[in-house]
Amino acid sequence: MRLLALAGVGVSAYLTWAHLAGRSVVCGQSQGCDIVQQSVYSEVGGIPVALLGLVAYIALFALTLLRGHHLGGMEGYIPLAVFGISLIGVLYSAYLTYLELYIIYAICRWCVTSAVIITAIFLLSLPDLKAEDSSLQRS
Amino acid sequence: MTTPKKQRRYSGQRRAGISTPQILIVVGVAVLAVALLVILNINRSPTGRVSNLAYATGVTPEGEPYKGSPDAPLELVEYSDFLCSHCRNFADALSTLGPDYIESGKVRVVFRNFAFLAPESTQAAQAAECALDQGADKFWQYHDLLFANFGTGSAAYSKPRLETYAKQIGLNAATFRNCLDSGAKAGEVQADLDEGKSQGVTGTPTWFLDGQMASGELPVDELRQLFDSKLSQ
Repeated sequence: MRLLALAGVGVSAYLTWAHLAGRSVVCGQSQGCDIVQQSVYSEVGGIPVALLGLVAYIALFALTLLRGHHLGGMEGYIPLAVFGISLIGVLYSAYLTYLELYIIYAICRWCVTSAVIITAIFLLSLPDLKAEDSSLQRS
Repeated sequence: MTTPKKQRRYSGQRRAGISTPQILIVVGVAVLAVALLVILNINRSPTGRVSNLAYATGVTPEGEPYKGSPDAPLELVEYSDFLCSHCRNFADALSTLGPDYIESGKVRVVFRNFAFLAPESTQAAQAAECALDQGADKFWQYHDLLFANFGTGSAAYSKPRLETYAKQIGLNAATFRNCLDSGAKAGEVQADLDEGKSQGVTGTPTWFLDGQMASGELPVDELRQLFDSKLSQ
């Protein structure tokens, strides 16, 4: 999960940089990345969507580093935080992928990569959550 | 029943437990957060703006699209590049004056491509000519949509986007794509550019009002005064 979060940081940092610097994104043969990255949908309230992703991945990465450490009783909520942040990521990525497919008519491979990463993190967060939850239910 | 639960939670032997209500709260917050992001995004999407034309359109004998009555007393011939912001502003000003001058039959606006800024200018100009193949009204809708999407990034006039706009105004997608991919309009766009240069056009927008050359955009009020003075002559 830590590696996935790190990969997510890399992808979103690259896209954030490209968006803010107005640079072209390396995207194989297709123009899809630039179209998506420079579309009106690439910002929310003036904040680049890629930057939102970067913040989320950094938070997830930090949380994975904190796992196993004593945080005055707060450490038990780390799986819940990972679950919550990755759930937001999965839902929002689903919406963005819908935009790419049906509104912008362009697919950005980097964005799809990010969607896959966040979905994997989300799925990996579920067993942790269940373990915590069932231990409580049984007691 | 509650005692063991409390003991477990505060015993320090295990991590604090996560209850189902807590999970549900987190799910609720996540859904709300995403809904907020989506709403903010929807408010920022001008790409869907397709205008219904309230004016007559047609094609001149030379093959140039026009809007307004063919019998209008005043004619404005405009040389424009879709990549030029002043051309966008000028087109906006003409749209603002549309009801009073174009729709009422006083002014006819003829559009000519002067695609000289960048390769995307040429591509957009060719796409607009391809739209013209499917009707003068389609040309003007396409023209408006191109300018509406002006500034949504340097890829605003990339091929996939040009095809998207074509779909948005209901053009036959296959015909449009064939026209654009084959470069069928390259000659016409170049001919427009050459024609403009031969008339002394060096930049955009350059326009001929009643045959008199002028260049640059004009604020709506000045353009209105100009139209009125010409019409009263």
